[in-house]
Amino acid sequence: MAVMAKKGKKEVPALSTSSLPDIIFMLLFFFMAATTMRETEPMVTVSMPEAHEITELDKKNLVNIWMGKPLNAAKGEDALKIQLNDQTGDVEDIQNFIAASAVTKKMDVGAMVVNLRVDEGATVGKLTAVKQELRKADALNISYAAKATN
Amino acid sequence: MAKKKKKAGEINSSSMADIAFLLLIFFLVTTTMDVDTGMKRTLPKWIDTTEQQNDVDVNERNVLKVNVSRSGMIMVGTDEYTSADLRRGARHSRLSQEVYNFLTMPDRSVKEPKEIGTTKCDVSKGLVSLKADDETKYKVYLQVQDELTHAFNLYRDDISMQVYGKKYDELDEIQGTALRKAVPMSISEAEPNDQTKK
Repeated sequence: MAVMAKKGKKEVPALSTSSLPDIIFMLLFFFMAATTMRETEPMVTVSMPEAHEITELDKKNLVNIWMGKPLNAAKGEDALKIQLNDQTGDVEDIQNFIAASAVTKKMDVGAMVVNLRVDEGATVGKLTAVKQELRKADALNISYAAKATN
Repeated sequence: MAKKKKKAGEINSSSMADIAFLLLIFFLVTTTMDVDTGMKRTLPKWIDTTEQQNDVDVNERNVLKVNVSRSGMIMVGTDEYTSADLRRGARHSRLSQEVYNFLTMPDRSVKEPKEIGTTKCDVSKGLVSLKADDETKYKVYLQVQDELTHAFNLYRDDISMQVYGKKYDELDEIQGTALRKAVPMSISEAEPNDQTKK
């Protein structure tokens, strides 16, 4: 009986942590593969409108044009700014920007899709001005960026 | 002398997990998993105003005029629509229903036979002309665009059912391209100089 009593007091063995690095590595590789680095710093804030009929866009031939309030805007100032890659610009700069993007992305302007990330508070007039410039630059494939309606 | 043949000591790998953790946290923070989504459109080619503009001859009957005012009121033909008419019901909003009717009903727009793959199918020649005031909010404008797209997508579904027996988004790439060509998203976004003509 004395022997039995001793056995009952046996301690729980410590949890083996030797497989912890493997688990962590697995997670690490997942995130490494899934990561795409943000290429451009946003300089304008865009609150994106919602829509139902949206499609996924192929990142390869996508060129982004932002239109929204500048981040460093003074209070009360609500003029919209256009951001082209990593600089703010004007409507007049769009043609040059499209030409430059075609060179850096090594593709035809006709194959390019220009993603218009426009703030939902912007006016159609501003948008039309941008679209006219895109037509002049022969970048006819556009997309109105929107997020899915919940 | 026996000491010379001593094995090299094993590297302590207990800090491996810490290093991996550090890297993991770095990638966790930098990861952005957002996919770009948007509504695709094709703009008409730029025509120099000095050149004679030869407008595409479209029968007035096949054009549905949609006007968005600066206050967000929507006129379709002579009917008034408000933002409440953009809200979806089970299948349609009031606006998309109107556009869908325009495309499908035989007395609203002219149908012409088109070849899709190997089958022939009557497709509407209907065109939606969308005009918006310069001061219209983009949010409203895109909502209207959304409803127009919805109507066209439902129409594409119908044609797709007739031709292939399945829905438009279930088609393979070749079928999808053929259908898109036969049933184009005929939404004309008016040019700004058109708006001055009232």
